[in-house]
Amino acid sequence: MASLDDPGEVREGFLCPLCLKDLQSFYQLHSHYEEEHSGEDRDVKGQIKSLVQKAKKAKNRLLKRDDDRGESGTQGYESFSYGGVDPYMWEPQELGAVRSHLSDFKKHRAARIDHYVVEVNKLIIRLEKLTAFDRTNTESAKIRAIEKSVVPWVNDQDVPFCPDCGNKFSIRNRRHHCRLCGSIMCKKCMEFISLPLANKLTSASKDSLSTLTSPSQSPNSVHGSRRGSISSMSSVSSVLDEKDDDRIRCCTHCKDTLLKREQQIDEKEHTPDIVKLYEKLRLCMEKVDQKAPEYIKMAASLNAGETAYSLEHANDLRIEVQKVYELIDALSKKILTLGLNQDPPPHLNTLRLQRMIRYSATLFVQEKLLGLMSLPTKEQFEELKKKRKQEIERKRKLERQAALESQRRLEERQSDLLSRANGEVASLRRAPAPLRKAEGWLPLSGGQGQSEDSDPLLQQIHNITSFIRQAKAAGRADEVRTLQENLQQLQDEYDQQQTEKAIELSRKQAEEEDLQREQLQMLREREWEREREQFQAASLHTRTQSLDFREIRPFQLEPSREPHTHLTHALDLGSFPVQSSATAKTPSPSSALEPIRVWSGPPALGQEFFPQSTMSQQDEVASLNPFDEENPSSPTAKGSTSSPAAEPSFGPPSRILKDYNPFEEEEEEEAVEGNPFTNSNSPAPNPFDEEDEHPHQRPSSPPLPGNPFEEATCTNPFEMDSDSGPEGEEPIEEELLLQQIDNIKAYIFDAKQCGRLDEVEVLTENLRELKRTLAKQKGGTD
Amino acid sequence: MNVVFAVKQYVSKMIEDSGPGMKVLLMDKETTGIVSMVYTQSEILQKEVYLFERIDSPNREIMKHLKAICFLRPTKENVDHLIQELRRPKYSIYFIYFSNVISKSDVKSLAEADEQEVVAEVQEFYGDYIAVNPHLFSLNILGCCQGRNWDPAQLSRTTQGLTALLLSLKKCPMIRYQLSSEAAKRLAECVKQVITKEYELFEFRRTEVPPLLLILDRCDDAITPLLNQWTYQAMVHELLGINNNRIDLSRVPGISKDLREVVLSAENDEFYANNMYLNFAEIGSNIKNLMEDFQKKKPKEQQRLESIADMKAFVENYPQFKKMSGTVSKHVTVVGELSRLVGERNLLEVSEVEQELACQNDHSSALQNVKRLLQNPKVTEFDAARLVMLYALHYERHSSNSLPGLIADLRNKGVSEKYRKLVSAVVEYGGKRVRGSDLFSPKDAVAITKQFLKGLKGIENVYTQHQPFLHETLDHLIKGKLKENLYPYLGPSTLRDRPQDIIVFVIGGATYEEALTVYNLNRATPGVRTVLGGTTVHNTESFLEEVLASGLHSRSKESSQAPSRSASRR
Repeated sequence: MASLDDPGEVREGFLCPLCLKDLQSFYQLHSHYEEEHSGEDRDVKGQIKSLVQKAKKAKNRLLKRDDDRGESGTQGYESFSYGGVDPYMWEPQELGAVRSHLSDFKKHRAARIDHYVVEVNKLIIRLEKLTAFDRTNTESAKIRAIEKSVVPWVNDQDVPFCPDCGNKFSIRNRRHHCRLCGSIMCKKCMEFISLPLANKLTSASKDSLSTLTSPSQSPNSVHGSRRGSISSMSSVSSVLDEKDDDRIRCCTHCKDTLLKREQQIDEKEHTPDIVKLYEKLRLCMEKVDQKAPEYIKMAASLNAGETAYSLEHANDLRIEVQKVYELIDALSKKILTLGLNQDPPPHLNTLRLQRMIRYSATLFVQEKLLGLMSLPTKEQFEELKKKRKQEIERKRKLERQAALESQRRLEERQSDLLSRANGEVASLRRAPAPLRKAEGWLPLSGGQGQSEDSDPLLQQIHNITSFIRQAKAAGRADEVRTLQENLQQLQDEYDQQQTEKAIELSRKQAEEEDLQREQLQMLREREWEREREQFQAASLHTRTQSLDFREIRPFQLEPSREPHTHLTHALDLGSFPVQSSATAKTPSPSSALEPIRVWSGPPALGQEFFPQSTMSQQDEVASLNPFDEENPSSPTAKGSTSSPAAEPSFGPPSRILKDYNPFEEEEEEEAVEGNPFTNSNSPAPNPFDEEDEHPHQRPSSPPLPGNPFEEATCTNPFEMDSDSGPEGEEPIEEELLLQQIDNIKAYIFDAKQCGRLDEVEVLTENLRELKRTLAKQKGGTD
Repeated sequence: MNVVFAVKQYVSKMIEDSGPGMKVLLMDKETTGIVSMVYTQSEILQKEVYLFERIDSPNREIMKHLKAICFLRPTKENVDHLIQELRRPKYSIYFIYFSNVISKSDVKSLAEADEQEVVAEVQEFYGDYIAVNPHLFSLNILGCCQGRNWDPAQLSRTTQGLTALLLSLKKCPMIRYQLSSEAAKRLAECVKQVITKEYELFEFRRTEVPPLLLILDRCDDAITPLLNQWTYQAMVHELLGINNNRIDLSRVPGISKDLREVVLSAENDEFYANNMYLNFAEIGSNIKNLMEDFQKKKPKEQQRLESIADMKAFVENYPQFKKMSGTVSKHVTVVGELSRLVGERNLLEVSEVEQELACQNDHSSALQNVKRLLQNPKVTEFDAARLVMLYALHYERHSSNSLPGLIADLRNKGVSEKYRKLVSAVVEYGGKRVRGSDLFSPKDAVAITKQFLKGLKGIENVYTQHQPFLHETLDHLIKGKLKENLYPYLGPSTLRDRPQDIIVFVIGGATYEEALTVYNLNRATPGVRTVLGGTTVHNTESFLEEVLASGLHSRSKESSQAPSRSASRR
């Protein structure tokens, strides 16, 4: 398994579908999901289910691999059986055993600390006393007296040897007393505490006692003033008397303790630069962690053509995030170079720390920045939106078909009843019923819904084409032939009638052209079977020229012939819908939902009525009874009269057609109202929006020419769109360029970092080119 | 039961508990290895751990703006170093984790050193072993025994490692050991002792079937570590050597600077994870796919990205491309080197004869093949020696044993004294006299049938016929058929049901071939989880060192091998 085969699979594994967090195992993912996202959308549950399946599949793959190997004999376990688990997939385990010694530790430490703190405080208090008076202007004898009063000195006779170095005390090696603890040491082991240090220590402790104001104030200034006065005097006296004007004698132990104390004080005050910078850096990273997922969500949504977020907003966010990245880059660079120019160069470890911070920032930027997908340009976005809309429409149509089928099943039953009582149409439909059992081809579900309801002739054509297809698939050549003959006849008939009405219709054609085009485009995308394309080519022009709603009536007179043709071929029309609808997957939706569905799919209108022959052949597309749709008021009325038994909202279409042509009226109204602003591309749930296009389209395309297909090719709405917005295009281009430049810069940086000079070169080259393009473009637009 | 995950969880917990801010990880030599097996640098960098220091490194700078996470083994030296550290703290705050049980007195002396109150945490986190694969761990001890008995220091380290493993997996097992090995019994007792002493620690939720710890000794199967390997991980270890996931490629001719040492870790190298158990041929084709894939994505040298779309595509693929280029060059180099060595050392032929020696019982054919290969100038002294070792182990007591002749052949070939001596040492280490079970001739009827069937079917892959002895042992164990007279329980209680969680520990080192076996057993047997461990993970070279370190071969002179040696002088 080459792991990197597919870039899309790189992040496969146990990723949470919501937060993309990588979890170690399926169980963890599951629990993570349950903890974190249980409240969220149910759709996602489906996703995780599919993920589970994926994981299982992956597991199967693994096992299969093992199986293969087992077969090839390399492993050949006789005890082999499925169901074992790769150690990687063992169920999650809790953290191993731990044991804390903290309380024990603290207990011991507390005892020690108490002791230590007392010691330190004692020393500091003594130090304070020792420095409280003016040492320079006091006689040495008096100083000594004060010093002795602070701490009792150890008796000279008790200490014959220096306790630190072990040398014997003598006249030459004199005893010295620590002023802080009173102990004795030799001169070599003696230490001094300078007054500034003493001051610092005492003032700091005072500060910490009183307030928390900065203790950094003034040991220096105090000390400075004193030192001035000291220097003159001490030179005289100290030689003989070893009088300590500006320092206090002490032993190493006391000095140590005090120095530690000093260090602590220093640290409290001091925040190194790196910490400040680092804190900023972390803030930025947090920001990115927060914003980037948001952006990615947006970008993904936009790239999918959804309209949940606005492109501008996403762009702003992108820029914001990119700025943060720049900041991260700058900050980490600053950390990297921190103190490089100082005189004693920083310690190796400091440099290492700085390098590591920089490195991790680079990693961070790489990982996250490069994960930022780019946004579509405005133009692309429009296209994406269109695509998505079409996608949605297709889905809706499918749903609707399913709904219609179930609906039609009811209708069928209903018309069964009706057929006896009234309606020649119904009886015509019934006619083939007895032959139902004959080995017939089922009309494809897509076509039948619409055709049955709309126009018997069309319906016939639909059915037959689908029969042909099925027959072909089954390889029954002679049946195909007879069917094709039949189809030809039907189509001729249809064409003839259409030409008769052609003139009347020309106006409406123009209105519907837009829809046609859209449909056409969609159809082309779908790659229809070749045979149908041939048909289309053969019969398009003649038939599409003339479309008339009124011609429906003649059609209805015709069906009397159709069933016969069917009969001759032992094909049962009427039964097909029933059979096929029985197999339809979608259950009959509630009647309340149905109207909505019906209304929501306007494209079907265009399909059915205008490029009739094309559509009828490509029957998968169409799914509706447009008459029902067009006449919202009628269904109920009709239904109540004609079909009391079932579905009141969808009366038998044939009746409607006979009564009047509601569509025409509708069109007329629309034309008057004329709402030209509706966007033909937006997936409008309301079919009226779609209708609105027609008036909009009318002025743009010549109404008279008989062949809408010719027009369709030349008046592509997409082209029009793009024509109208050439200015909008350039800036986007520019923005894209800028983005690219940004990205490439990041890569150059990265490549440099890793020392891959050849890559740097290529990238730089690209960068230069990009910049050139940008400049050119700017020159062009400005 | 995933050991990699267990250690990783410990490390993650340490880092998490220290909160935000710049951190330094303070470790000793061993814990450095332990951590490096489960975390990569970039991974740990993301958790704000920027510096990795050794506690014993003298010139660490004072950096009060860092938090220190100390992960140390509880040794005397470490405690002393830590005491020094706490007296003069270099970092602002210390989180101290010991990888094993630490004594109360050590805690006390540490507490007394912490005068500045910089310690925020003192805990025991039992990540005291090297987690190699999710089901394989090692203690990186080479030469654990002196003669037949434990080196005392190594015994205590092994006990610590094994108990830490149990604690990290939260298992309080029943113990079985290989009766024929004194060392196994000793270790079992030591582990039991710790469990008894630290009974509070070992109080885990009782599972229906208690876990089982099986302690084996390498000397029961000296064949497995002597064989050439053909699955990726095992082969890399055999031919190049894997040391804490690192592979030293500096001896590869014409190696580029940045590939001198590469890391092969299944944790973050997907290709490796997917291929580590595949055989050489499969890897070859997978490498080819990887390459082709890479070529597709790679921007052609100096290719100008003409359009913005080109550039965009490139830029979007760049990180992946970069990541991939690292993986590709690494694996291509490794596999290239492997195949170079295979050709150079005539390993295919050698391995075929090795497998014959290990798996079949045709003495004359085997002898003939070994003799033939010894004449082949392409066969290295190392390979020649191991062929003779395998022969010596298998046909030790064969009526027409002609070991002396082979040793003479070795000498004629110019094989060094060291290797010739090792032949007898290996027999001494893992010969029939020592083995508690029969490696070569199957005893029970089932096994005989199996072998018979195998013979009927024919062997599809002559290079991987060998099945480590461990497989049979575990198979029996899982089926509840492992004989108690050979592998007794420690203590009175025995397991009534079939075991579910099994920890196998091999004194003297496990091998990657055995790791593969356990891996496959895990996948083949539902409900059973087996973890394999060893004092180390051997290849032939390290195994011979182990044999050498045990010091057995000096004794061999006056004991069983004496006649054969005198014969060889003739």
